[in-house]
Amino acid sequence: MHRLFLLAFLLVAAPAQADVATEDPLERQTLDIAKDLRCAVCQNQPVSESNADLARDMRVIIREQLKQGKSREEIVQYFVDRYGDYVLMNPPKHGSGFLLWLLPLAVFGVLAGSGFMYLRHRRREALPSAPALSPEDHALVEKARAEDEQV
Amino acid sequence: MTDISLNLVELGHFAAYLAFAVALVQALAPAAARFTGAPALAWLSVRAATLVFVLTSIGGLILMHAFVVGNFSVLYVAQHSNSLLPLMYKITALWGGHEGSLYLWLWILTLYTLAVVWYGRRRYAEHLPLIAAVQGWLMVGFLGLILFLSNPFERLIPAAADGNDLNPLLQDPGMAFHPPMLYLGYVGFSVPFAFAITALITKWRSELWIGLIRRWALIAWGFLTTGILLGSWWAYYELGWGGYWAWDPVENASFMPWLLGTALVHSIAVQDRRRMLHAWNIFLVISTFSLSLLGTFLVRSGVLSSVHAFAVDPGRGAYILTFMVIVLTVSFGIFMARGRYQQAEEAITSWLSRESLFVWNNVLFTVACAVVMLGTLYPLALDALTGDKITVGAPYFNTVMVPVFLIVLLLMGVGYLVPWRKANREKLGRRLLAPVVVGIAGAALLATIFGPVHWTGPVALGLVLLALTSHLTDYARAVGVRRAQHNEPVARAMVRTVTGNRRHYGGMVVHMGILVIALGLMGSGLFRLERAVTMAPGDVLEIGAEKLRFDGVRQFREANYVAIQARFTLLNSGRAVFPERRRYPRQEAPMTETGIDSTPLRDVYAVLADPAPDERWGVHVYLNPLVQFIWIGGGIVLLGLTLTLSGRRRARAPVVAAVVPEPAK
Repeated sequence: MHRLFLLAFLLVAAPAQADVATEDPLERQTLDIAKDLRCAVCQNQPVSESNADLARDMRVIIREQLKQGKSREEIVQYFVDRYGDYVLMNPPKHGSGFLLWLLPLAVFGVLAGSGFMYLRHRRREALPSAPALSPEDHALVEKARAEDEQV
Repeated sequence: MTDISLNLVELGHFAAYLAFAVALVQALAPAAARFTGAPALAWLSVRAATLVFVLTSIGGLILMHAFVVGNFSVLYVAQHSNSLLPLMYKITALWGGHEGSLYLWLWILTLYTLAVVWYGRRRYAEHLPLIAAVQGWLMVGFLGLILFLSNPFERLIPAAADGNDLNPLLQDPGMAFHPPMLYLGYVGFSVPFAFAITALITKWRSELWIGLIRRWALIAWGFLTTGILLGSWWAYYELGWGGYWAWDPVENASFMPWLLGTALVHSIAVQDRRRMLHAWNIFLVISTFSLSLLGTFLVRSGVLSSVHAFAVDPGRGAYILTFMVIVLTVSFGIFMARGRYQQAEEAITSWLSRESLFVWNNVLFTVACAVVMLGTLYPLALDALTGDKITVGAPYFNTVMVPVFLIVLLLMGVGYLVPWRKANREKLGRRLLAPVVVGIAGAALLATIFGPVHWTGPVALGLVLLALTSHLTDYARAVGVRRAQHNEPVARAMVRTVTGNRRHYGGMVVHMGILVIALGLMGSGLFRLERAVTMAPGDVLEIGAEKLRFDGVRQFREANYVAIQARFTLLNSGRAVFPERRRYPRQEAPMTETGIDSTPLRDVYAVLADPAPDERWGVHVYLNPLVQFIWIGGGIVLLGLTLTLSGRRRARAPVVAAVVPEPAK
């Protein structure tokens, strides 16, 4: 079965002139733009990767507009005008998306600040009261812990 | 056949109801013991744990049986299986849908509880009833959802002649085992959670239980890691867009507990070693488990596909939300009330110490988790509150998360060279010299050889090399010390150093795995090539150094689908890849199967797109460098984890003995 299959391929593959397949530059430009646009009917998929009809249509539109000489920004704006900010894979940096870009910085600031405060605070406060165990004490504790572990 | 299997299903259904009753006993026994003044009663919850597991297993196995024999009088079976489905997928179809997934979650929970009870009979017997009771409450919560709102035993009368098919995307080994692994991870974090709640209630001294949850946390982390990697491996070869991680909400849902779980396994080490961060650890334990719950519910409630899908089934949605709120309120309530009894005993002595770096590790992983959560939940909240729809896609997460991970890499590289308590600056500087030089050299090399490249490339490579070198120098130093002390040959000293401290070196191997994964992410993320072309048979496509010849297509039929398969020969190696397009009877859109040729350094990844006139075909080809590093690194991580789990608690007596001369025996 498998051999037959290979044979079939060899027969098909016979054509002598091996063309080099090159990418249509327009197609590449189309896909590059489509990457940043969301396929509105899919779950979190960009237009460049979706097989949905809508995504196909959007790719055709991008292509057509590229042929008309429109710029990337103009094409993206065309879709934003029709579908709203929803169509952008990257949330907008204004309006309702603004917080989204600001908050990670805020989270980082707050948590890093807490870490800093913790380290400073714990260092100052606890130093005098830090229990001074002798090596013998440590050995005792360790022995107890080891036994505890073995039970 | 039919009659018996019909009755069997009812038996399974009945077993699930019994399990609910027994779980209630398990949950209530310690409280009952306290109020009736009969302490022996508490042990009932420990006994109940075994019974619940047996009952849940009866239900689970009967459901599985219904799938295998194709009992389409069970609604869930009729919805997610088909008589033509291969046997393996009939079995794994058990968790192919909502009801079955929740049942699997519950089943795993009873399994973990059984393991905790069995393992703990001698080790922590006095706390066992309460631990089992906390698990019991979780079981009650899940069983309530399963039995009353999401019942896999529900009947379809009259029975369907044949079932709907299992989603073809799920008919795949990667996806078959992804959910169990993920759930073993999620549910695994319920064990530390039960310990923490018990400890808070009984004022159980932190020093006595933190060491006990370390293993459970590591096991859960390992399963979660495996689950996530299996999921992305599946996405990579099955979905056909050339990538493995899309920052999809479903992926993020599992990534959040992973991030916090990673913080947890590190901060447990700090507490175990330096007796600090007690309250923080409890906070992490509770949060990690809550995120596991959130992950399950985000994926299972339908809220992600749209906020409105959530409202379509208001009963389920409301139950899930209520359950989450109760778990969060009760556990954080207990934490607020009793947290002060779990106090750190020691203090940070220096900014420049390993424990301080661990604190920063925790800060960063918490930031990472919070940011993923923000990006995942923000659009949902915005839609629910204002009706505005925005998309938070992969570009956002990459922009925000990559810098965080780069700092994590830096900490990882420096961490191994900084000793506990207080580092000597001069010594540290000397130790850092080689790793920094290697890192900078690597970064410079990458930047010059590969020309203009995104800044993250050289920085990531430099940090990976820095970390790698610092780990290796730490290891080399330990081997050197051992050779000097024991007068051993190099090979033996190298092995004995590792076997003598498996915990430490297991962790180091895990780090190595992570570094390998980081290289894979960098290579495939920054140096991927892609081509979208139309090819006729005989055409050759050049991509990078590879040449692919399109040999043509053939059609064939399998038991449950029809396929068109193409053949591409890789002219450099003579090997071939066979991407397919499949049509399954109950699916409208064709499914693509990728054709991948892997070597450690690169994957050639071919996808058959749409047919074009004149026997030509649309073809997408990707050249993905270093993708294999991700899976290989995952293997190394698991290897290291096994090593670390095989080690006993690190005995510190010899360290003391090294300071104080050992008395002669």
